[in-house]
Amino acid sequence: MSQQRSSYAVGTGLFIVLGFAALAYLATQTSSVANVHQGDSYVVDTHFTNVGQLKERAPVKIAGVRVGQVQSIDLTPGQDVADVKLSIDKRYDHIPLDSVATIYTSGLLGDQYVGIDYGSSKQLLAANGTLARTKSSEPLEEMLGKFFGAGGVADDIGGTYTVTANFSNVGTLSPGAPVKMAGVPIGSVQSVVADPLKLNAKVVMAIDKRFNQIPDDSAAAVFTSGLIGTQYVSIQPGGSPDPLKNGDEMILTQSAMQLEDLIGKFLVNGSSSDNKGAGNGGK
Amino acid sequence: MSERLRQHDNVVIQSLAQIGNCGLFLLALLRAVPRSLRYMRETVRQLWFLGAMSLTIIMVCGLFVGMVLMLQLYHVLSIFGGTSASGMVVALSVYRELGPVVTALLFAGRAGTSITAEIGLMRATDQIDAMEMMAVDPMAYVATPRFLAGLVAMPLLCCVFCAMAIFGGHLVGVTWLGIDNGTFWANMTSVVEVRTDIVNGVLFKSLAFGAVVSLIAVFQGFTTPPTSEGVAYATTRTVVASSIAILALDFVLTAFLM
Amino acid sequence: MTDSVRATPDDSTLVRIRGLTTVLNGKTLFDRMDVDIPRGKVTAIMGPSGTGKTTLLKHITGQMRADAGTIVVNGQNVPELPREQLYKLREGIGYLFQNSALLTDFDVFENVAFPLRQHTRLPEVLIRNLVLLKLQAVGLRGAARLLPSELSGGMARRVALARAIVFDPMLILYDEPFVGLDPVALNQVLKLIRTLNHTLGITSVLVAHELEAVKQVADHVLLIANGKVVAQGDPRTIASDGSPWTRQFFGGEADGPVPFQYPAEDLGRALGFAGAGK
Repeated sequence: MSQQRSSYAVGTGLFIVLGFAALAYLATQTSSVANVHQGDSYVVDTHFTNVGQLKERAPVKIAGVRVGQVQSIDLTPGQDVADVKLSIDKRYDHIPLDSVATIYTSGLLGDQYVGIDYGSSKQLLAANGTLARTKSSEPLEEMLGKFFGAGGVADDIGGTYTVTANFSNVGTLSPGAPVKMAGVPIGSVQSVVADPLKLNAKVVMAIDKRFNQIPDDSAAAVFTSGLIGTQYVSIQPGGSPDPLKNGDEMILTQSAMQLEDLIGKFLVNGSSSDNKGAGNGGK
Repeated sequence: MSERLRQHDNVVIQSLAQIGNCGLFLLALLRAVPRSLRYMRETVRQLWFLGAMSLTIIMVCGLFVGMVLMLQLYHVLSIFGGTSASGMVVALSVYRELGPVVTALLFAGRAGTSITAEIGLMRATDQIDAMEMMAVDPMAYVATPRFLAGLVAMPLLCCVFCAMAIFGGHLVGVTWLGIDNGTFWANMTSVVEVRTDIVNGVLFKSLAFGAVVSLIAVFQGFTTPPTSEGVAYATTRTVVASSIAILALDFVLTAFLM
Repeated sequence: MTDSVRATPDDSTLVRIRGLTTVLNGKTLFDRMDVDIPRGKVTAIMGPSGTGKTTLLKHITGQMRADAGTIVVNGQNVPELPREQLYKLREGIGYLFQNSALLTDFDVFENVAFPLRQHTRLPEVLIRNLVLLKLQAVGLRGAARLLPSELSGGMARRVALARAIVFDPMLILYDEPFVGLDPVALNQVLKLIRTLNHTLGITSVLVAHELEAVKQVADHVLLIANGKVVAQGDPRTIASDGSPWTRQFFGGEADGPVPFQYPAEDLGRALGFAGAGK
């Protein structure tokens, strides 16, 4: 009987060992151990004019190797830059002060992460210090727009100054879509109606009262979250000392780019016969 | 007490009474834990019967779940040219949902029913009374060791299930369908996080499911009328109640943990 | 009353029950019943089915709570005992279940060794010797490695008996030990009960229906009916004491004080003849 008992014990012991071996396998072979290591770390402040799809706990990488993660993303009322705190492993504390923090996208559809490109300064970044030099996430539209020479050129529709904006093309923008500044939502689209006279779309936006310091020459643009995401209105701050007031209209707008148009342009690039190519992007 | 309620023939009240009794039973079970420490050997023996003996079914099912998941994902993802992501989707869906839930359902069917039937028969053949008479507390000797064994066995079984599912996914994806081996693992390791996916998903969920399944199984065994008909009904009820509890709890846990 | 109940252990009465009242499912099982079980004797409890003989045994072991009354076993009042002391008391009581109640997970040897393993830390050699001695006493030493499912009913009962006496208890309760045994097995069990009582001086209480068997083994018979002890005395003479209960029970008459009909509403009304009852 005692043999019978001990065979239970041995079998059970084997079972437990097997279970823990499987757990160790899952934890080490199918996940990156770097994801666990939340040992000693220090916090670095950065500011981005646009965080795009960057999320909390997104990786922070140096030379493509993970060294930490994004701790928090905030937008201070009254400012037009997103305040991003990075938590970086203590082992990597030799980051030059003039290094550049950039928001990159892993591939075309992947998640975004913060990459730190080393500068040449002898001074090192201290804990709770600030990385002054940053490069923001660039919405796909902007990149494509730049590529086609349409970047930064906004539609000039003219009209009066109210918290409405007219677009020649809103794409699939619908009421309820977010209005973002520096990539952080500050309001939402109230209505999208076609103007029967001007033959364009009139978009009414409700913006959070806290963000009442938006210069009145700011531009509104319809962007897409990623390649196949939903569309939203992005406000790019201007330089005017006067803020937007209730009922104002934004004059500088940039319409939604249709992916098909862009690709069409790309395909016929250099062919002078197609005038339509300059279509919605900029006139 | 349930005698009086039975006359009402009211399903809602009866279910509430069942849940209430089950809660009281859990308290009695937990109170018996210190006393059951004397019967460590019995717990180990139950761990053998409930855990180690369930290994085969868990491993085979894990392998097939991983294989079929990979096959389905491959065909869907190949439409978008994203087959390289299939390994990571297999890993995430297995760790977060399929692993704990399917393991728990299998555990309810394999181990839960055997607990209920065994305890029910022990009551029907006076073995429980005999233990009482031999001054051995059945709560500490019969109920708690099975409960504790279920609590320990479930996370271990779930880990084995997940490992087998990954292995099955690898088998189909890499060996058969020709996904690149490096891509398979790299994509997986880049998204799977130890804390959210393995600790919260695999371990925490399976621990909760293990507690629920073994509680229901032991409770049904102890409260069933000690007749062969009663044991048969109780076994069925164990599977039904466990399955509902597992899926409902899964929703709640997912909502809280994710 | 309380003073007389608190008997000392060397009292000649081992179990003293006073004013026992039990209501089960609305039916009064015992109605202020008094029972004395003498030390060192074999006492048989008899009575019609459903009078609560098994319940009485369960009251003595504290497995069932009575609604009122005192049950003093070896100087301790069972209903008032806290759990630990009750378990301590039970170690001194052997109980033979109607269907033997062997633990199906273990073989015969482990079944008999079970109480020893649970309550003592004896070395394995000593446990082995003790268990083999007890099995020898019931004549089943050779069956030590059989599983309960491989035993016949009579053998299983003898194994259960070996388990019940493994701690050398002061009291053994037999719940229908003769049911379903062939004449040979019945006589073996009878012989065991007698031997245990005579050689070890163990007080025995047995619930049984077989008057012939009881006559061979019991020193004292209690006849219970309607929640009371209706007759008691020597088993050889009790049948002829002349009361209607003993006449019906031991004579085996179908009708008498023990009603043939289970209490029910009037037959005429049950069959739908309105007003036929009265």
